[in-house]
Amino acid sequence: MLAERYRAFKSMMDERGIIFSFSGYLSEGVLYSLGEALRHKMTLEDTDITTVKKVFSVFVEQSQNIIRYSADKLVGPGDHGIELSSGMVTIGREEGHFYIVCANSMRQDQVEKLRERLETLKSMDKEEIKTYYREQLREAPDADSRGGTIGLIEIARRASAPIEFDFKPEDNGTSFFCLRVSI
Amino acid sequence: MENLHIAAMERSPLVDFNFDDGVLKISGESYPDDASRVFGPIFEALDDFLSNDRSNPIRLDIELIYFNSSSAKALMNMFKRLDQAAVQGRKIEVNWRFAAEDETMREFGEDFSEDLTHLAFNLIETVGG
Repeated sequence: MLAERYRAFKSMMDERGIIFSFSGYLSEGVLYSLGEALRHKMTLEDTDITTVKKVFSVFVEQSQNIIRYSADKLVGPGDHGIELSSGMVTIGREEGHFYIVCANSMRQDQVEKLRERLETLKSMDKEEIKTYYREQLREAPDADSRGGTIGLIEIARRASAPIEFDFKPEDNGTSFFCLRVSI
Repeated sequence: MENLHIAAMERSPLVDFNFDDGVLKISGESYPDDASRVFGPIFEALDDFLSNDRSNPIRLDIELIYFNSSSAKALMNMFKRLDQAAVQGRKIEVNWRFAAEDETMREFGEDFSEDLTHLAFNLIETVGG
């Protein structure tokens, strides 16, 4: 029974082309280890260097957004105490593309601002995204963001198709957010 | 003044600033969650150097394989400081080194160099391994 149940679970993921999927508390240390595994896997499969870099970059930016903005967070004592943030990161392949999905709960009152930023990016073509990136690179950082704005532009810039995203309100004043990017 | 040497860590670059001969080097990878933790000490030392020594040439060699978006902002900030220091005619050059087949790093070099008008920003292809 046990093997059957988990084999079905694994098959379901394999059928979706999932390379790996992480669900739980993310930290900088977990990000580093998953990132290394991802790069090794892609390099061993002879993925070209530009694609490896794009996938890795989107993975890092998405994971760091979860670490920063997840509403479900455990923070250790001290200024640089360990930060554990609940979320999900999935990386897979389909139809010759890599895709990366991240998901986490976020504060409902931050949803509109994020939705606006993502809508703006989604409506832009490659050249507009590049220009927008160059502008933001020269801006002073937002007071309320730990680098979130330029991170989203970096994600959109590496995507080979328009980004997809969605929000679903949850109890406790949070919303479940997910972002899917194809490379 | 004292030179700045910071060993590379898992998500932070090697920093080797030799202020005596004006050769500064950053290499490796940079993707800390909080870029100020990595770049704070770099800016502090650089600002000190720029205010103490206003005439000798400076060469900054950058050979990064990967950096995240908050590190990109910090790098831009550093280039702007150097560009400002070059306004009075001080010779400052940045060598942006990247593997020839690495389109991402080439494009980043172009992004950075766009508005830098006083310092020399050189894009240098290296032979990939």
